[in-house]
This record gives sequence, C-alpha cells and structure tokens, in this order.
Amino acid sequence: MSESFVDNDQPPGDPAEALRMIEEQRASAVRQIYVDDRWWFWPWGFAWLVGFGLIFLRFGPDGRVFVDLPDWLPTAVLVALIVAAGAISGVTGARAYGHLAGESAKRGAYYGWAWMITFTTMTVILVRISDRLPDDLQIMVWSATMVGLTGALHLAGGAIWLNRQLFTLGAWISVVNVAGVLAGPGWQALIMCIAGGGGMLAFGLFASHWHRRGRRA
Amino acid sequence: MSDTPLDPVIHAQARLRVVAALSTLGPGDQIAFPRLQEILGMTAGNLSVHLRKLEDADYVEITKTHRGRTPVTLVALTHRGRGAFEEYTASVRALLQPPDIKEKT
Repeated sequence: MSESFVDNDQPPGDPAEALRMIEEQRASAVRQIYVDDRWWFWPWGFAWLVGFGLIFLRFGPDGRVFVDLPDWLPTAVLVALIVAAGAISGVTGARAYGHLAGESAKRGAYYGWAWMITFTTMTVILVRISDRLPDDLQIMVWSATMVGLTGALHLAGGAIWLNRQLFTLGAWISVVNVAGVLAGPGWQALIMCIAGGGGMLAFGLFASHWHRRGRRA
Repeated sequence: MSDTPLDPVIHAQARLRVVAALSTLGPGDQIAFPRLQEILGMTAGNLSVHLRKLEDADYVEITKTHRGRTPVTLVALTHRGRGAFEEYTASVRALLQPPDIKEKT
C-alpha cells in the first residue's frame, strides 16, 4: 500500500463503508495490540500439570511410588517449568505493554513487580523453615504456600482490572489449594495437577475466546 | 434528513482509521507512534499530517518524552476525541437504520 500517494483525506463512500472501516480497523488494532490470553495462562497450566503430575507419580499418597523417578526430578522439573513460565510472562508483559504508556502499562508493571516481590518473600521464608519440616510435609507446604499466593494475586488482578473471570480463577485456585491441603500429601499433587493445571489451561482457552469476542463487540 | 452533518475532522478515511485504532486503547493509555504507524500501515509522514489535524481539533494528544535516552512520541485519544468518535459512529449507524424506524415527517 503506497498510501502516501493516495488522497486518503477523502470521506468514506457511504455510511455502510464508514462503519465497515471502523469495524475493520478496530478489529485489526485489537489483533495487533492485545496479546492472546493463552500466553499468560498456558505456560503456568502446563507447568502445574506436568510438575505436580510427576510429584504425584513419585511421591504418591501414603508413601506410594507409582513411578520410580529419582527423588530430585519431580520438584526440579516443577521449579524449572515455573521459572520458564515466569520468563514467558515477562516477555508477554513486554509485548502487551512495551509500546503502551499510561494507566494500563503502569498497572501491568506494578502487577508484575507484585508477583516478583511476593514470590521472593515467600521463597526466603520457606527456605528458612523448610529443614525443620518433616519430609512428607515439605513438598506440600512449599506448593500450598506458592499456590495460595498465586490464587491471591489472581484475585487481586481481578480487582485491578475489574475482571470477573480473573477473579473467579483466583477463587478457583484458592479452593483447589485448600482442597489439596485437606486431602494431604500425595493427593494434593494430584489435585493440583488436574484441577489446578488443567483448570488453568481451560481458563486460558476460555479467556482468549471471551477477550476476542468482548473487545470486538 | 434533519441529521447533523458528520464531523468533518473524522469523516476522512485516514483519520477515521486513526481514531478507530486509538479507540481500542483504554482511557488514560497512550501508544508509541511507530507502533500506531505499523497498525495502520501508513507512512510516518502521512500519519503525522493526519495526527496534526486531529491534534488541532483537540481529538488527539501527542506527548514527546524520553524512555532512557531514546525520544518517544506517544499518541492518545483525548476525552473529546473519544466522544467525537462515539458520536460519529452513532450517526453513521443511525443513517444505516431502515427508514421505518426513523421518525416520519
């Protein structure tokens, strides 16, 4: 399109054309500006699904071992996938807000910092007390604390963006987390794998769908 | 038709597209000039001309600032600009309504 040579100061041909131009331009801007919600939720859902899945297989309920993996492997995989998910969220944030300034960009940046600061805080606390915990409780306490924090931050995200779906996801994560803790070590990993990880994946799919529909309307 | 004439500032293909694209940003948000240019597929010169016209009408606010040491030009729809765009869209929709819905003279 060599638009510089086109006299685009012309009015649209008729009202129908004007409306079509408005709708097309808005749809195209939305497509180009807003990153797909799946980029936010799927890396985390995948990390929980695989990481907690492996923990369940290695450290099942009542000390059962379904698959004899090396002790260190399941948690190492979970931590690695969570770090990767965090990095993807960082890149997604840069893509979503990098070319924007103003309120949304500030909210996004503060929210990103809130995740980093609170996760660092919790890690320091847990490292300090972890050795005093009985073996079977270590994984459970680490997971439940971090997942609880994730739930709280999603609830806060819902409040910041007045987004009911995000708030609901936070509530869901919190409920699943409590259910896992009540069910006890082993079962907790299974619940987090299916309801937590699976729930996050399903949510990402729906959120992406709602978002595209909502913005275009 | 007794309808008021369409806003001449927006009733031009290029500026209509600029305003439509900017209307997808949240209120209080600004977008970097090169990104807006990319979204619209316009040349920098062409976009600047239209932005100036929109700025003269107080529909668009242009902020020149720095990110680190790089100069950045940020563009946003003003409150007035958003109102004008909404009014324009409503007028166009009204013109498209079947005649029987409109008041008969």
